[in-house]
Amino acid sequence: MDSLYGYFGKQLRVSLDSKEILKENIDASILRKYLGGVGYAARVLYDEIPEGTHPLLPENKLMFTTSPLTANRIPGGGSIMLCFKSPLTNAWGESRCGGDFGPNLKSAGYDALIIEGKSDLPVYLVINDDRVFIKPAKHLIGKKITEKTKIIRDELKDPKLSVMCIGPAGENLVKIATVMFEHRAAGRCGAGAVMGSKNLIGIAVKGSHKTPIAQPEKLTETIKTCLKILRENDFSTNLKKHGTTGDMAANDAAGDWPTKNWYSNSWGKAEQIYDQFFNKHLVKNHGCYTGCPIACGRISEVREGRFKTPVHEGSEYESLSAFTAFVFNENIEAAIQATYLCNEFGIDTISAGAIIAFAMECYENGILKKEEVGGMDLSWGNPAALPELVRMISLREGIGDMLAEGVKIASERLGGGSEKYAIHGKGLEAPAHDPRSGKVLGVTYGTANRGMCHIHPLEGMAYDSGKMDWGLMKYGVPDPNTIDRWDEKGKGKIVKILQDALILPDILNTCKFFIYAGIYIDHLAELLSAATGWHIDGQELLKVGERVMNLQRLFNMREGFRREDDLLPERMKQKPAFGFYKNEGRCAIKDFEGMLDEYYTARGWDTETGIPTKEKLLELELEE
Amino acid sequence: MKIKVKLYTILEKYAKGKVLENDTIILHKDSTLQELTRYFNIPNNIGIVFLVNDSPQGKEYRLSEGDEVKVFSFIGGG
Repeated sequence: MDSLYGYFGKQLRVSLDSKEILKENIDASILRKYLGGVGYAARVLYDEIPEGTHPLLPENKLMFTTSPLTANRIPGGGSIMLCFKSPLTNAWGESRCGGDFGPNLKSAGYDALIIEGKSDLPVYLVINDDRVFIKPAKHLIGKKITEKTKIIRDELKDPKLSVMCIGPAGENLVKIATVMFEHRAAGRCGAGAVMGSKNLIGIAVKGSHKTPIAQPEKLTETIKTCLKILRENDFSTNLKKHGTTGDMAANDAAGDWPTKNWYSNSWGKAEQIYDQFFNKHLVKNHGCYTGCPIACGRISEVREGRFKTPVHEGSEYESLSAFTAFVFNENIEAAIQATYLCNEFGIDTISAGAIIAFAMECYENGILKKEEVGGMDLSWGNPAALPELVRMISLREGIGDMLAEGVKIASERLGGGSEKYAIHGKGLEAPAHDPRSGKVLGVTYGTANRGMCHIHPLEGMAYDSGKMDWGLMKYGVPDPNTIDRWDEKGKGKIVKILQDALILPDILNTCKFFIYAGIYIDHLAELLSAATGWHIDGQELLKVGERVMNLQRLFNMREGFRREDDLLPERMKQKPAFGFYKNEGRCAIKDFEGMLDEYYTARGWDTETGIPTKEKLLELELEE
Repeated sequence: MKIKVKLYTILEKYAKGKVLENDTIILHKDSTLQELTRYFNIPNNIGIVFLVNDSPQGKEYRLSEGDEVKVFSFIGGG
């Protein structure tokens, strides 16, 4: 075999049943086709997870994957991808986490980590270069994230260890449970429940190896070029100052801020809510991984009062939107505390906010009664209910036990017409972006492989309303300035290219915001080529993106998903009930099925079933 | 005519030196929002969202004396 660059060509396989730890070689030809991140994981998990596997039984697997661009000095290179079958959706599950865990796993000498089976007792895993061992973790049960992380570091006598762990919610198999790196979350799809089902409480990792690089000088030059782009880019400057949270007012104005469980796509309150946050509660900005040139993270606090909250990392756009607009709450301090508690208990802020909004609507309509919710007042916008419900969901206490299943299952159990209040796609609660702001988002929401998420569909509204093209016009995306955000025709074709391109940061483990700040797929191709020595251009990257999109789709098809699962909740298609756009008829989605037809045709999928055609699979080298 | 205007986040830099006291600017009568963006030299390729007196409007909208305009660049959130 030729020398492999950009990779170590090794993966760790940890079987928790037998406590066997294997260091396996990875086939270089697989890496060439799938590169890394969610691409490599899709290949492995499609091959290794049997059809119909229950996500919380030992047969499910949890992968942590890196890529040739996982390294602190690569701009945006500080991410780890977690992939699994989701307990929330029974479909393909993936979740990204920023921080130093990914770079440390890579420099320990492993491109990927596969966790399988189930330990009989709670354990945590330690990876220190070649030394890999399992330690008992019974004493960690019930402890929150900050304390767990500290205990693991203290026990191993190394304060610099990168630690990812689950909180009490993951131990309780809460289906929206996260895996946390300090206060950064692999948040969506319930990775924490999968890890908890395996009795794996945490993973500590540290590495000292340098990844072999094919063309070190070319890589250094390309990194310099990228850093120059970032320095001169308004988007990155703005992210440093305002973080993602600073976009709340613009999204509200654009009709991209779902409010009161999606009754509306705007509220008119975001500006004042954000001003309070920025002026009173923001402490400073923070990079999620060492050396990030943007550092968009927020360090915040509530100094005093009933929602007093210590200095912590959090309060990003999605989290604060979930605990303000979703639940119709104007009290920013309650939202900050609820976010903090989500990170400490280990549950996803987006799903948690969406679930509470669902519960509030059920309460308003008499489907949930006061005595059923422990006497709590679940009226819209009651700030006191937010932190309390976060705790109850995490501990599966009272009504929290049912809500811990997510809105889809909770509504099925509650009945009484509550299904129409459950706003989700494939079982994943919808995030804080609204397809009534622009129709591309409707198609991406309906067709995203992991369900209605805030990563893959992000490009929808940023294209329609933000007029961003990410350097993709040369690859067939029409100039967004020539596109009307309300139009439906033509959007299906656009989504196909956008998805194939904007899945690449998830395949290459690079922060998605960097592609917004000018590090386009041509730059990623240059970085990748220098690291690996392979000659890869943007066109080939797009082909890999398409291959991975299709393989994840096949994973879902094997589980029984079809066209009828690529849907939007009815409320999401209707004119908003209040807000800036209540009289704007163009907001409504009139022909979603027509957009789907166009999308499937562009994808080469059967328009009746949504299954990729044999010809398409042959073209993508995905034939069985 | 006098228009009250506020530019947000990524657009703040275009307001420097171009806004009078009380966040006002002077535009010709019947100026449109498109002309307002030209006044500030905001590039055409940035996705802009306008609120005029708290109501969303497009670039062709004609302004009136005393209007309050908020100009946002749509970026995305998270």
